[in-house]
Amino acid sequence: MINTEKKISDYIDKLNDGQKPAEHDHSINTPEMEKLMDTVRLIRRMKEPDLPDAGYSKRLAKNVANQLQGKRVGEPNNKIKRMWFTGAGSVAALLLIAVLLNFLVPILGRTNIVYAMEQAYEDISAYHGILEVVEVNGEGKERLQAVREVWANKEGHYFIRELEGTSKGVITVNNGEKKWQIRPDEKQTILFAAFPDPYCFTFELGSEVNEVMNASETEVIGDEVIAERAATILEVTPQGGEAYRIWIDKKTGLPLQRQTTMHNALQYRLTYKEIEFVNAIPAEVMSYQLPEGYAEIDNNPEQIVNDVHEVQMLVGFVPLVPYEIPESYVQDKIAVSTGNVSKITFKTKDLKNTVIVLQGKADGVFEPATNAVLGKIGQNTAEILSPAGDSTGILSGGSYAGMAGISTIRWQKDGYEYAVVGNVSIEELVQFVGGITDDEVVLPQTVSNSAWMPQAQVAVDMEIEENEQKSIDAGHIPWKLDPVFVAHVFANVQACPEGIQGDYPIPYESLKAIYNDGTQAIVEVSGETPVMRVYLEKLVRQDNTGIWTVTGYDPKPASDE
Amino acid sequence: MSKQEILQKAQAGDPDSIEEICSATWEPVYRYIYARVQNRQEAEDITQETYVKALSWTKKKRIHPKVWLSFLKRVALNIVRDRWRQNQRRGVNTCIDDINPEQSAVSDETDEYALRELIETALDNISKEQRTVIELRILQGYSVKDTAKVMKLKEGTVRVMQYRALHNLAEILNHYNLFRGE
Repeated sequence: MINTEKKISDYIDKLNDGQKPAEHDHSINTPEMEKLMDTVRLIRRMKEPDLPDAGYSKRLAKNVANQLQGKRVGEPNNKIKRMWFTGAGSVAALLLIAVLLNFLVPILGRTNIVYAMEQAYEDISAYHGILEVVEVNGEGKERLQAVREVWANKEGHYFIRELEGTSKGVITVNNGEKKWQIRPDEKQTILFAAFPDPYCFTFELGSEVNEVMNASETEVIGDEVIAERAATILEVTPQGGEAYRIWIDKKTGLPLQRQTTMHNALQYRLTYKEIEFVNAIPAEVMSYQLPEGYAEIDNNPEQIVNDVHEVQMLVGFVPLVPYEIPESYVQDKIAVSTGNVSKITFKTKDLKNTVIVLQGKADGVFEPATNAVLGKIGQNTAEILSPAGDSTGILSGGSYAGMAGISTIRWQKDGYEYAVVGNVSIEELVQFVGGITDDEVVLPQTVSNSAWMPQAQVAVDMEIEENEQKSIDAGHIPWKLDPVFVAHVFANVQACPEGIQGDYPIPYESLKAIYNDGTQAIVEVSGETPVMRVYLEKLVRQDNTGIWTVTGYDPKPASDE
Repeated sequence: MSKQEILQKAQAGDPDSIEEICSATWEPVYRYIYARVQNRQEAEDITQETYVKALSWTKKKRIHPKVWLSFLKRVALNIVRDRWRQNQRRGVNTCIDDINPEQSAVSDETDEYALRELIETALDNISKEQRTVIELRILQGYSVKDTAKVMKLKEGTVRVMQYRALHNLAEILNHYNLFRGE
């Protein structure tokens, strides 16, 4: 029995680590052990599966295609490897176990603590705390930057009162209906749109948990008592980014302190000196009241109306209302905003997600943002940005630009311009697009092998690229996020290999993105140029914070020069 | 291109069509397999094997795109069962050629929901301490050491309690006839 206790415990550990237990390959299990293993697997069905990484689908397709091309159909490559391994004998097995023992122990710790943090966040509704922000210089000297009182809930609503620091006295609130900031020095209250909200206060627990869950690596590096609470120190390495540390409260399982990487001899430490978990933010701190003697300044002029006919009276057209929306959504409000734009807002019943459908009269030729992914809605080009970027037209003004978590789809048809904006995935936005048009929505597929055939390859030094990615993360060289801009610099360097003096010989307007799926892009260059096409890829990180790198190009044929 | 055309091109080994099919269906197939093997490594292996076998099969017989997903799940289930059988050295392998794609519907979300209800009931029928051990170790993924810390018990005691809890749960779940060799 003692042996079975140990074996079933090891079996559970193996599954917790996402590994295939040896018992699944051998027939040496007793009936009792079989039944206990079945029970463990049945109970694990209560929890969400451990899904593969984002690149799995492509990897799977590639492996399947390889196998179907006559290479041992029905016998995966990794199976062959395992057979070889068994044949290689126990020495190799022992070596592997020794190596795994060294590496798996910290990974096991990582999996458990991150999972526990995710679960702990799931279990809370709202919190109230005192957050301290300290700046630390290269010599280790500390300076208190701010102390703020924080009320926040999981619907994205918050109340922040600055208790110490340069903004002392300022209160910022977003109650989901509206957002406002009370500035005692100026005797003003400024009103903003509640959504989208570019200001998510620093060290918001939901964002922290998300960031850790999406990190490429996490490692437990020790324990420490912070604000009289025992905490585990976790080193978190974001994909292609620099490692930072968070301290996780052992009692609550939630982040308590964050320390950024040292940049330009400065780093920041943010600590919840006090924190309590509550059912809801008190209504009195979330209700809007203009303090006596304060001026109200509205930065979000929009007129709420009752229905689309009232919209028509104001803007001269009846806006399209999605006739079908995802089940979890309900219509929240209809408004008309500046520029005679109709704005219909939908929210999920739990108020966590918001999608806005905008419509206005088209003003000029449709110009997608240069860093946009390009799709098609019917015969029309669709600009797809995630996160939202520097769009023009109906989304101009930058009120959505650069906001993490906000995605946009914009297109024109029959003299109108439409946009769908939301803090949801592109796929969910597409469902709203499908509700207002019968046109087929085509998201860009991976470029076909025949289209991706650069005539000349460009050598890439990954170390340089990774360092440039870090510079981007620190706020430098933002143009590396724009494939057209990167191609522009590349084409000009090709045109002037001895160095560019004065203006670039190839103007930016001569370049046009003809393909962009978010990870690969092809930019066409016209006019006097030695380069006809530039091929770019996101090599370090494949999301919207990843830099573009030129990996190939098509030179202009000699006869054309 | 219609779904049928994509399927046909995928059968012929066209990488773009295979990618399109995998991209559209891998997640429900993977989830279905994962529910049975409960580890990512094996679930990824079997998912790959499922697509290879299913696409090879459709070279010989025509399949309607409407039943493609349930057909994939049926193939996956057969692979899982074959593996269990091979490991236990009993029974014979299921022949994929015997599958009728039009009758390939396999247990769906409703079954999964009912299963969870039964497991929840089983968990309600063991002692509070045993349930806590199971929740920490299996549902929250805690190590024995961390579980011992949380419950203020010795590691050996946690293992014993875990063993007894699983034994009791196995008895209850057996009563519900939940061990179907999947």
